[in-house]
Amino acid sequence: MNRRAVIRTLAAVTALSLTGGLAACGSDDDSGASAADSSSAIIQVGSVYEPQNLDNTAGGGQGVTEALNGNVYEGLFTLTDTGAVEPLLAKDQKVSDDGLTYTFTLQPNVKFHSGAALTSKDVKASVERVTAENSKSARKSNLAVIKSIDTPDDATVVFTLSSRSISFVYNLSYIWISNAAATDLTTTADGTGPYKFGEWKRGSTLSLTKFDGYWGTAAKNAGVVFHYFTDATALNNALLTNAVDIVTSEQSPDALAQFSGNASYKVNDGKGTTKLLLAFNDKVAPFDKVAVRQAVSQAIDDKKLLTSIWGEYGTEIGSMVPPTDPWYEDLTSVNAYNVENAKKLLTDAGFPNGFTFSLDTPSYDPHPTAATFIKSELAKVGITVNINTITADEWYTKVYQKRDFAATLQEHVNDRDVVWYGNPDFYWGYNNTQVTDLVNKAEQATTTDEQTSLLKQANKIIAEEAASDWLYLYPQIVVASSKLTGYPVNGLNAQFFAYGIVKS
Amino acid sequence: MSRRRSLHLAAGLLLVAVVVGGVLLSYLWLPFAPDDTSGGRLAPPGGDHLLGTDKLGRDLFTQLLIGGRIAIGTALGAVTVGGVLGVSFGLVAGFATRWLDDAAAVLLDILIAFPTLLLAMLIVAGAGASLATAVIAIGLAMAAVVARLTRVLVKQILARDYITAARVAGISWPRIVVSHVLPNIAPTVSVNLALQAGLAVLAEASLSYLGLGTPPPNASWGRMLYEAQATVLVAPVAALAPGIALVALVIGVNLTADGLRDFTDPRRSR
Repeated sequence: MNRRAVIRTLAAVTALSLTGGLAACGSDDDSGASAADSSSAIIQVGSVYEPQNLDNTAGGGQGVTEALNGNVYEGLFTLTDTGAVEPLLAKDQKVSDDGLTYTFTLQPNVKFHSGAALTSKDVKASVERVTAENSKSARKSNLAVIKSIDTPDDATVVFTLSSRSISFVYNLSYIWISNAAATDLTTTADGTGPYKFGEWKRGSTLSLTKFDGYWGTAAKNAGVVFHYFTDATALNNALLTNAVDIVTSEQSPDALAQFSGNASYKVNDGKGTTKLLLAFNDKVAPFDKVAVRQAVSQAIDDKKLLTSIWGEYGTEIGSMVPPTDPWYEDLTSVNAYNVENAKKLLTDAGFPNGFTFSLDTPSYDPHPTAATFIKSELAKVGITVNINTITADEWYTKVYQKRDFAATLQEHVNDRDVVWYGNPDFYWGYNNTQVTDLVNKAEQATTTDEQTSLLKQANKIIAEEAASDWLYLYPQIVVASSKLTGYPVNGLNAQFFAYGIVKS
Repeated sequence: MSRRRSLHLAAGLLLVAVVVGGVLLSYLWLPFAPDDTSGGRLAPPGGDHLLGTDKLGRDLFTQLLIGGRIAIGTALGAVTVGGVLGVSFGLVAGFATRWLDDAAAVLLDILIAFPTLLLAMLIVAGAGASLATAVIAIGLAMAAVVARLTRVLVKQILARDYITAARVAGISWPRIVVSHVLPNIAPTVSVNLALQAGLAVLAEASLSYLGLGTPPPNASWGRMLYEAQATVLVAPVAALAPGIALVALVIGVNLTADGLRDFTDPRRSR
């Protein structure tokens, strides 16, 4: 009896410490076999971002963008891996002199995977899905400028805007054109892309197969299978055992050593757009005071945090704008690390002995580590941080919806998202009329140079006022088998175009 | 008592003493402050840092000692909650008759069928992750086991002739409980509580590993295992140290409980 108790205890401890390792065993696959002909190869992709559902207007999450954007669904325009906006389903565009009317001619001979031909009515319906009342699309508010959509004939769609919007074409690159006749887009898909949707085994894989009736250049492989992992270690093990050919974004630098010194793999250090933010509630004391926010920003050694979490990877940033945005400017010297000055700012703001605040911290990496670091840094200037661990769902309701927080940690994935600081109703409640004006004027600008210069000014103000503390920019690390070529390395907005991938 | 069994007890007590000693030491002296991040990223063991450092540059030996506080604290806390609730409910259920007795038995069976970890996760999900909620959750799960044991023991004792004799002599029920029932069930219940303490340590580590137990920056062994998982190839000691500490404490507690049983159970000493 007593021996059995000991053995059971041992088994439990072993299971606990090996959870990560064992999980990897479940993902074996016959994909290791090399294909005779590269165009008949199926690309096995490993990712940690499984979609919630397949509809990007119903909260599908970043996983649905990764798997379907550009692969199954296409927009009138596309945001390329290098950040350029190029026409896709729009063959031709005309803009009226006042900038309020956009007329697009659609590509001819485009077919949905179900067989129906693409018409202007599908475009209208697709845009209206995004702007609909029940849409959960993050882009909904960007499209509020659309006054009406007309479809004079099957190949022409005319957008009338209520005011100028220089980002309009860019915003259209996020809108998937789906078949207006499709009834269920959350568990299946009907787009115009080079792949048709295959099968989604929840919690495991999502497969795409090459669409033979594609209107453009056909995919260079026969299909893609996304393998989903909840654990980064298991994902890396899958790459080591050839269960997957490529990992879309590595979650930690420590696993990279096993790939970087190995000729069978290639480690790509691309440009990301994901920023880790210490977001203050700018409406509520004490963070309604600029000096307090500046003090906190200056008391945290961002460089050390970045090195702790990402080793030699990643980039320091001084504001919300990542280097791939046209209005990027190096602002890392603004509110740079300076403990003595932080103490002085706190004293001037009326907190010579610091204060205490609660930091709402999502329970998943890297937030708990970052919170621990921030707590230890701020203790040096007398500020006490209570770390309140919450789930992603709690974050959405407590922080994003109810605004019931003092400060929080969150990653912001998108490019060109500095404009949120011009919206006083956003969750962080930053309200500076000058910034709001600049952001609005930038949107009304007639040239991109004008837009760029206005947004640069806005960016400088938010950096100086420490509207948030931008801790660092994530690296975008793609690790692939060296047999693979033609894959995207920058992963802007979590896109992953698979059609160019060749497996030799 | 055989020599083999006393060896078990000695080994168990030694293991527990090492962990408790480490915890007591942590209150008097720590190699580094818990939030001191001056160590450099993932420094290897040796030199200033006996077990190396974590990603943030915090000393792992310091964290291991502090994690011991949480392990021992959880064990004591959960045993207190489980013991008090379990024995109280078990006593009441032991005295119950007919349908009330059946109801109590079914209720306890249902509670025991509920996996400890799942029950704990439900409570933590409702009340938020903290050490206190984890201790209460584990204690409640433990209470069901202790209550069932207590109920059966109480029923056995109430059937004895000396209880009938005591009743005939006019002694009140409360006095019978204090002077006859409790002393007779105490040895078995306390051995069971000791075994449960080992499981409580594991349950807390599992909860912390899942992010539902002790929140950061407190170093729980389960949390340390979780954090070490991503770096296990470059810094294996960070995963081995809390793993070995957990094994040592849990085996120590179990061996001690087994040894204690032989002291208290006359049938086994033959």
